[in-house]
Amino acid sequence: MSQNLSTSGGWRVALRLARREALRRKGQTALMLVLICLPVLAVSAAAIVWRTADVSSVEGIDRRMGSAEALIETSYADKIVQTPDPESGGYGIPGEKVNEDEVLDIDDLAAVRDVVGRDRPVTVFGRDSLGFRTDKGIGDFEAFTTDLANPVTDGLFEPVSGEYPPGPGEVVVNQALADRGPGVGDSLTAVRKRMDGTEQEFRLRIVGVAESAGSRGYPIAAALPGAFGKGEDTTGRWLVGGGPVTWDDVQALNEVGLLVTSRAVLNDPPTLDLDPTAVPSQDGIDDITMTVLALVVAMVLIEVVLLAGPAFAVRAKAQAHTLALVAAAGGTPRQARRTVLASGVVIGSVGGVLGVALGVLIGVLAVPIAQRFDQSRFGPFEVPWLLLLVVAAFGLVSALLAAVVPAFSASRHDVVAVLGGRRGEGSPSVRTPILGLVLLGGGVVSAVLGSAGGRDTAPLLIAGSAIVSVFGMILVVPMVVGLISRLAARWPLALRFAARDAARHRTRTVPAVAAVGATVAGVVALGIAVSSQEAANKDAYQPQLPIGYASIALGLDADRDAVEETLTRFLPGQGVQAVRGLQTSTEAGELEIEFTADGEAVMLDYWSSIGSPYLVGTEVPDFIEMDASERERADELLADGGLVLLRGADDDGPDAPEVQVDVRRYDPAGDEPKDLASATSKAGVVHVQRPTAPAPALMSPKVARSLGLEVDTVGLVLPGPVSESQEKDVQEAFGALAVQPYFYVERGYQADDAVQIIQFVLAALGAILMLGGTLTATFLALSDARPDLATMAAVGARPRERRRVAAGYALFVGGIGALLGAPVGFIPGLAISQPLTRHHETGVSSLDVPWLLIIAVVIGLPLLTAAAVGACARGRLPLTARVE
Amino acid sequence: MSVKHALLALLETEPMYGYQLRAEFEQRTGETWPLNVGQVYTTLTRLERDGFAAAEAENAEGHVVYRITEAGRDEVAAWFTTPVARTQPPRDELAIKLALAVTVPGVDIGTVIQQQRSATMAALQDYTRLKRRAVGADPRELAWSLVLDSLVFAAEAEIRWLDHCEARLRRAALEAGRQNSRLDDETSSSHREFHRPAGETPSTSGTEGTSR
Amino acid sequence: MNPILELTDVTRVHGEGANQVHALRGISFTAHAGELVAVMGPSGSGKSTLLTIAGGLDQPTAGTVSVEGTHLGGLDLQGRARMRRTSIGYVFQGFNLIPALTAAENVALPRELDGISARAARKEARTALDEVGIGELADRFPDDMSGGQQQRVAIARAIIGERRLILADEPTGALDTETGEEILQLLRARCDAGAAGVLVTHEARHAAWADRVVFLRDGVVVDETGADRVDVLTEHAAR
Repeated sequence: MSQNLSTSGGWRVALRLARREALRRKGQTALMLVLICLPVLAVSAAAIVWRTADVSSVEGIDRRMGSAEALIETSYADKIVQTPDPESGGYGIPGEKVNEDEVLDIDDLAAVRDVVGRDRPVTVFGRDSLGFRTDKGIGDFEAFTTDLANPVTDGLFEPVSGEYPPGPGEVVVNQALADRGPGVGDSLTAVRKRMDGTEQEFRLRIVGVAESAGSRGYPIAAALPGAFGKGEDTTGRWLVGGGPVTWDDVQALNEVGLLVTSRAVLNDPPTLDLDPTAVPSQDGIDDITMTVLALVVAMVLIEVVLLAGPAFAVRAKAQAHTLALVAAAGGTPRQARRTVLASGVVIGSVGGVLGVALGVLIGVLAVPIAQRFDQSRFGPFEVPWLLLLVVAAFGLVSALLAAVVPAFSASRHDVVAVLGGRRGEGSPSVRTPILGLVLLGGGVVSAVLGSAGGRDTAPLLIAGSAIVSVFGMILVVPMVVGLISRLAARWPLALRFAARDAARHRTRTVPAVAAVGATVAGVVALGIAVSSQEAANKDAYQPQLPIGYASIALGLDADRDAVEETLTRFLPGQGVQAVRGLQTSTEAGELEIEFTADGEAVMLDYWSSIGSPYLVGTEVPDFIEMDASERERADELLADGGLVLLRGADDDGPDAPEVQVDVRRYDPAGDEPKDLASATSKAGVVHVQRPTAPAPALMSPKVARSLGLEVDTVGLVLPGPVSESQEKDVQEAFGALAVQPYFYVERGYQADDAVQIIQFVLAALGAILMLGGTLTATFLALSDARPDLATMAAVGARPRERRRVAAGYALFVGGIGALLGAPVGFIPGLAISQPLTRHHETGVSSLDVPWLLIIAVVIGLPLLTAAAVGACARGRLPLTARVE
Repeated sequence: MSVKHALLALLETEPMYGYQLRAEFEQRTGETWPLNVGQVYTTLTRLERDGFAAAEAENAEGHVVYRITEAGRDEVAAWFTTPVARTQPPRDELAIKLALAVTVPGVDIGTVIQQQRSATMAALQDYTRLKRRAVGADPRELAWSLVLDSLVFAAEAEIRWLDHCEARLRRAALEAGRQNSRLDDETSSSHREFHRPAGETPSTSGTEGTSR
Repeated sequence: MNPILELTDVTRVHGEGANQVHALRGISFTAHAGELVAVMGPSGSGKSTLLTIAGGLDQPTAGTVSVEGTHLGGLDLQGRARMRRTSIGYVFQGFNLIPALTAAENVALPRELDGISARAARKEARTALDEVGIGELADRFPDDMSGGQQQRVAIARAIIGERRLILADEPTGALDTETGEEILQLLRARCDAGAAGVLVTHEARHAAWADRVVFLRDGVVVDETGADRVDVLTEHAAR
């Protein structure tokens, strides 16, 4: 008991000391608070935005069913089982067979009423994807058909302007649709295309603008049921009002094959006693995601601790004199430790609470901004208090951890040296760097294992390697700092001073260097991973045409004149070239052609974007790229009435001087294919310049004739260039045609914008963190070095010498951090690129090291930071700040 | 100061006659404590009477040479090992002067103190200058320099004592000023006391024109 | 002969209004080549202010300061910093060595800051260290030296580069009496060799090493003692 009492008493004293110290050194305290606060704030705000954006079942009720009690949908089964919320669980069909004849459809409202009661208000709530006419052609929109005058639909739409609800012959549209075509007062021409190619048009008068409660950005229109005709999809959807629809009602409706989303059930979901095999289970977070999440949290924690570390080290050092006096007066090392740890408790709890409070504030401000970038509507403002509590605890823990090392080193201070006014620290321990090197070795081993491992083990091993390597690096930092500072003898004065001073104050320097190192390691690792993946994507890309070319595959019934007219309208002056080939899709069925050489079928790529895989002509078209000698040979074969088989550049199949060509036809009924014709022809295998050929075979008209097949214009090719807006115009114009031709523009490999953005974000994040780590260390060092700077001033240092020293600190901390971090980043970076980019068939993996990014981060950033620090540092030396 | 013991201590090194003794003494102590030859001979007679020294025959120049006796050696040993008694405060003219200056009206005590301090400082500078010349490993030089040190420290002590007096008087004046007139500028009234009256030049200041 | 340091009617007022403190009130003060001048006075008498103003670390509110004929008031921060590198040497009570630099580097500091090559500066520093008798400690760090050794380093730093004005602020304050004497001997020797020295101290014993002692009270010179300048010079010449 007494032990406990004295313990709590000890803490009370320590906490009081820490509180006083925090109030006394306001600038330093503010810095520490910022370092702890910022991550807490950022995560809190993000959590609020995320939770608000995330719409739960209950929150989403109104946008799903307006004011109705339930949304009832037909299924294609005569009996189903469902989860309380079909949207997050779905439904299953018990029994084996679906009886299509007895399935309810859109007109079976009576069957619904039979179950839920005849006196309930019910209205149809149809959804359909349709087209609408624009100046250029046809755009897509989502059509809602329901009686918006019915109170059960209240809440589905939010009237913005004009009239609401729409009456017969009227329609309301959302802003996104109005922006792309007709506005209020104009008429909306909706186009319904049927599978059989026929079109139906509906003209409705736009009377108002209303936004859907659930989504924005995608064009939407709403009108009375039947306004857009009847589609082929006969799924019935009804909104039902008039009192709660119970789980029993839901199950009764399930019995007749109806799927129900009930407000009452969502608000108070029943405990499920369903057969788990009948209902697809809801996917939770899997183990790997969990592990990765834990690793991310760990890395963030490390980074925060490292960034805040120097401030705590300096605080502890400022208290060193007090602690030494306490020790001289009989205090135990534990009490000394506790005094420093108490700083962590005070800063951590204040920082955590402050961070959460500010985070909530920022969240309130950020939600409307985030909504602007998101198409789906956010739910009501929501603050996940439990999560925020965890985040605040994270702040406290990081502050405590940041205080641990200074606390232990403070408790071990040489009392005599401290009271004697010596400012340095003892020599570094030998064991730490050895342990660090061992850990780095472990990281490498784990990375090597991970790079060879499969998709399931690799992430764990490599992420583990990353953490272990970073820890190893942190332990090596003191040694490296010491070694490098020993090289300083010939350096310029400011840098030499900074290096030696940094080495003398390791508890302050090491975490800052480690923070920079960890940042750089992260940037390098992720940079390698992202670049390698990008390289793999690029390697895997197979262009269909020479870069810049565009092709149009004409279908069987395509209106070629209309297509060409569209092309001349939007792409005037382009030499449109007709592609002649065998029409493989015929009314009678699909044709398949097989080439056999030496009794074996020749394996060829089959796909084509130019209308037919089998082109016919007397020479090789120019959009098929091949070496001059190959082209010559191919042209010769074609002129000679032969056949050319095309292979990719790397495909080294055998040549085939003579092939047998067999034509078969698959009829639509799905019967056995029917042999149509056979012929033998002189042939040759020709390689194109790209990995894949745009078509597998070229045949001379003679071969086509001998097979008795019709040669037609199967597609069009034009050399381009086609701009993206031209492409969009052409697509929209083609959308208006009865049969839409396939339009393709070869732009080569398009580097994913996301990759460049990620690299940029990585570099920016790295810069911010590096700047943060360097800045804290530098300014703490400068305030520590005040007496030295005063001395320099007294012996005649120019005022700018302080800037130089500041830049020296920044360069030393940033430079060593970057030099250490880069190789450490290579370990997991190289490792992760292997499983990440391994081709699922060939097993070949790609590696691309983003040298530019790495050089920028390792060399550019430290220099830039040093320059920035040098420019920002006050260029005034303290003149008479001497201890008298 | 015991001249008796000092002479005995010198005799311990070698037998000497009176004049020689005086020269030796002054060489070791500087001209700090001037001895007249009469005093030396009186003391020698007394030493002989007490059995600490014995007169020997006259030497070639006709000087009576004295040598130390066994009893004399014991006496010297006892003198060296007994600390100098500090039972009685020395009759210090300066202390008496200041005590009177504080109580007698019309005396600017600040000036009194400063004049004394300058004088002592000048002496201190002289001692230091002498000391700077007394360099060397010769035990006699060392002895001389130790005596100088003693003088230096004594002078320093006097200056410190003067500083202390001044600080106390100053505080007293401040308090008096505060009690007497709160309307008066306190600092200036306290300063006034230490400003040297116009036209009055301290005797020790010979550097008029190089400063001020 | 022109004085190396000359302060004319120097006044220094700290603060404003009710908080005004007159640190110096119209002080005139000189130090000539070959002369060591001690400034004595109780704390708050303005002796440290006098020294910071003489060293260009502080600016007088009124009056002029000139060092080797250059008016410090006419110089900007840079110019005054240059004077401290080339003409004025400072010695502090707390030694004020930079712990991150070796003895030689500390001594070489003013020269290096002046832009001469590190190698040349280090060579000069070794000479200066030899001069103060601790040439063998050139590569030690201050933390590994005794107080006396550190102060010797500080003096070496103050004399490097032929600087002819040495300002010493209680240089013996943190030392025992004997080490203190040694330091004063060094200063004295420096002045005997032709430099002008100003020694601020509150210890009479140390002030006695000076040719002149100036007493400061509340920012004014109240008295001055010591040999006439002429005496000093003749004595100097006679030696």
